[in-house]
Amino acid sequence: MSKPSDLVQGTLDLLLLKILALQPLNGFAISLRLKQVSGDVLQVSDGSLYPALHKLEQEGWITAEWKTTENNRRAKFYSLTRPGRKHLEKEADNWGRLAAAISHVVRLKET
Amino acid sequence: MRPERWIYTLPLRLRSLFHRQAADQELDEELRYHVELKTQQYLNQGMSQQEARRAALLEMGGVEKRKEECRDARPVSWLQDLLQDVHFGLRLLRKSPGFTAVAVLTLALGVGANTIIFSVVNAVMYRKPPLPEPDRVIVVSSSSAVDSSTPDRVYSQLPVSGPDYLDWRAQSSSFSGMAAAEFDSFTISGGSTPERASGARVSPEFFNVLGVVPAFGRTILAGEDQPGHDQVVILSDELWKSEFGGDQQILGRLLKINGNPCTVVGVMSPGFRLPPFLAKLWIPLVLSHGNLRATGRDDRYLRIFARLKPGVNVRQAGAEMATIAQRIAQAHPNTNRGWGAGVMSLQQYSIADMNAGPPLAFLMAAVAFVLLIACANIANLLLARNSARQREFTIRAVLGAGRLRLARQLLTECLLLSFTGGCLGILVGYGGLHALLPRFNWNEDAVVLAKEVTIDGHVLGVTLAIILVCSIFFGLAPALQFSRGDASNGLKEGGRGTTISRERHRMQRLLVGGQLALSLFLLVGASMFAGQFIQEMRANAGLNPHNMLTASVSLRGLEYFQPQRQRSFYESVLRRLTSAPGVQSAAVTSDLPFSSPDSLPLTIENHAVTNAGEQPTCGHFAVSPGFFATTQIPLLQGREFTASDNADSVPVAIVNEAFARRYFPGENPIGRHIRIDPAHRTSEKPSEIVGITGNVNEYLGQAVPRPEFFEPFLARPTGSMYLMLRAHTDPALFSDRLRRAVWAEDSNQAVTDVRTMERVIRDSSAGDDLLAELMGAFAASALLIAAIGIYGVLSYLVGQRTHEIGIRMALGARPDEVLLLLIRNGMKLVATGAAIGFLVSLTLPKVIAAGFNDFRFHAAWVIALAPVVIIIVGLLACYIPARRATRVDPMIALRYE
Repeated sequence: MSKPSDLVQGTLDLLLLKILALQPLNGFAISLRLKQVSGDVLQVSDGSLYPALHKLEQEGWITAEWKTTENNRRAKFYSLTRPGRKHLEKEADNWGRLAAAISHVVRLKET
Repeated sequence: MRPERWIYTLPLRLRSLFHRQAADQELDEELRYHVELKTQQYLNQGMSQQEARRAALLEMGGVEKRKEECRDARPVSWLQDLLQDVHFGLRLLRKSPGFTAVAVLTLALGVGANTIIFSVVNAVMYRKPPLPEPDRVIVVSSSSAVDSSTPDRVYSQLPVSGPDYLDWRAQSSSFSGMAAAEFDSFTISGGSTPERASGARVSPEFFNVLGVVPAFGRTILAGEDQPGHDQVVILSDELWKSEFGGDQQILGRLLKINGNPCTVVGVMSPGFRLPPFLAKLWIPLVLSHGNLRATGRDDRYLRIFARLKPGVNVRQAGAEMATIAQRIAQAHPNTNRGWGAGVMSLQQYSIADMNAGPPLAFLMAAVAFVLLIACANIANLLLARNSARQREFTIRAVLGAGRLRLARQLLTECLLLSFTGGCLGILVGYGGLHALLPRFNWNEDAVVLAKEVTIDGHVLGVTLAIILVCSIFFGLAPALQFSRGDASNGLKEGGRGTTISRERHRMQRLLVGGQLALSLFLLVGASMFAGQFIQEMRANAGLNPHNMLTASVSLRGLEYFQPQRQRSFYESVLRRLTSAPGVQSAAVTSDLPFSSPDSLPLTIENHAVTNAGEQPTCGHFAVSPGFFATTQIPLLQGREFTASDNADSVPVAIVNEAFARRYFPGENPIGRHIRIDPAHRTSEKPSEIVGITGNVNEYLGQAVPRPEFFEPFLARPTGSMYLMLRAHTDPALFSDRLRRAVWAEDSNQAVTDVRTMERVIRDSSAGDDLLAELMGAFAASALLIAAIGIYGVLSYLVGQRTHEIGIRMALGARPDEVLLLLIRNGMKLVATGAAIGFLVSLTLPKVIAAGFNDFRFHAAWVIALAPVVIIIVGLLACYIPARRATRVDPMIALRYE
């Protein structure tokens, strides 16, 4: 299996914020959703997911809450905070500009 | 960060700080939940239970490692790690008390020695005088070439004449004020007992220029530098308290200063000092008309203080003063040719005046070496201990501890060690200073310096820096070694301690060898200082200092203006003293041996002088008839002075052996004549030489005796004399009798410097004995620490080879063979270190001679002896652990891991 392209630095944070912007989820659900939304192009190992979540939590962008799941287990649910939502908007804008710029450069016609 | 975010982050911080366990538990639960769901997912895909769980864990990539990463995401984790490391480190240190004690104590010794010496250096070099804007306070001095052949070498701290001072003050524009002071000693009477105290006559601007005001009362007013208006005195806080009990009503009181009545008008505050100038009282300086005449320019006795104008620096002021001095020299060539002006800040002046550079530099080098040796020792101990901990580190690394995290753990342990050792070291420093400072007693300057020496913030800061540098130094070696280690190797190596990495051995050998070389170097240095001092003390003094008491009396007051009165005063005191029981004899002399007596230029019969610069200058003593009997300076030929050698008789003189050899080689000097240069004595008749005595030392460690001559005191009385008596028993018991004999004659005269002759000689060493003792103490500490180092490393090596020794002994090696083998191993190290140290020490005589130009000690035997000492100490340090190894039971040794 060829190694999937590494996530660009900081993009995992952006993805996680975006996913949580849609709805509060627990860690396992986030890992499923990640695979689901990005296909198999962006592979995020379970190993790197949790440290990233904890970092976002410590920075105050997301907050966590212990809730009972449908199968009656306690799980830690993450949701976006108000500052986190603003942060996401800013980062998304940045990402849009960056992506546009790079795709512009990549498509330059060679003469 | 904006407040909005704090709402979310603050509780998290608090939680990870104070509810760490709960947080960790939740983390654990969260990850476990994930793994369970994942396992379930794989099970649903048709995997077996075991396979599914394994796959789930693999995907996580090590649960413990992830947990650690999540914990690291907490910004306060470093604090927790630190606490954890400190906790763990302390437990480790407690668990190996031997190691801890040795490391902490050696470091305490090293840091303590450095603290002591640096606090002295701090007092000498970095203390600002306690005045406002101290850097702008300037001392202006006369300068003159040391001798005419070398114009580059200049004395630049010479006193200034009255007329020069007035010209300087009128012509210079660099200073906002200039003041003159004449430092002298004064007799104060009118209190309980007459006292002599250092003091100064100062011009009215003096206190203004320095920027100080009295604690109460006033200073000197503008008109009080005129004759007849000058009868006021200002006391120092010290004098006010010691002599007048801090009397609040002191203002207006009449004291007798040198017999003149003076009114106390002010008392200075306790903080006012002007190092290195000593004064406990100040009276107005009257520049008399005699000094202001043109010829008065030759009479240089004033110290000039000035304050720089804003915007002017020392160099600019120096340039201006040089121009002015040159102009004066051109206008008054007879008195001022070759004389310039030296400008220094008070602090610079003080440092130059103390001339403490070379001894302090050597002491600092010595303590730095001691510390270096101590650090090498700790590095070695850590190396040995960490290699024993290799497995612990490997296991921790395997369990997910980052390399950085482990290095931090090691560093924390080092810092713990060094701070414990350092704090203890500061205590050692306090104790050491307490013991050391009372020894600063060879003269008043030293006593004043001792008061300045404290462990202040500056010293503590430097000590702290030293401790930090130390921990980096001895933490580095083990850390380097660790970072090169490989996890799997670590696990293997622990298995059987047969092949220990050679690299570690090399580092240990290097450290021990270096320690030994440094110790040898220190030992040689210390022995040289000690040898020099012993040689000085043993040098033939020329007199018998045993059972001799001396004291200084300086007659003050108008009634002693006539020499006749001075003579009769001392004659009666001597009569009283000699008739006292227990006193063998008594005498007076113008100068004490070992106190650099006056020199006078002479013309000697039959000894023609062709060049002006070659006129003989000889040591001069004016002595009473009992002098030779009291000092027991042997009379080699001719006769002593008698009571009939007085002002009315034919002038006579006695010369010493060196004088006779030098100026009358192969002749009999008795009956020949000498004459003191007329510039120093008016209408001098030639004196006939009537006797020859043995040589007497003029200063401590004098190697070549100088020509000296003696004149009868009765023929040439002066006011300031030293009394000396020889007792049958302990001379110190006679100090009261001596004082009473003086006061019975005149109760207004002060008797000072009551010292035994032995003390006079010791004081004249000016701290050389202290220097030798300190160097010895530091060398001994270094040797002790190095010995501990050899012992420690050898013990460790022996421990590592227990298995091998067991095999050897099981195969039939005899214990003494094993002993020899081990000792040979250790001694190879000792010999290498000693050899290197020996080679380096060969440079020491030159280095010391460069610092101390009167150092004449021949060091050959010391340099030869020091390696022997090192080798004996090394042998002992090797023998003990080696002997222990031979007692090993082969069966136990083979099983030993």
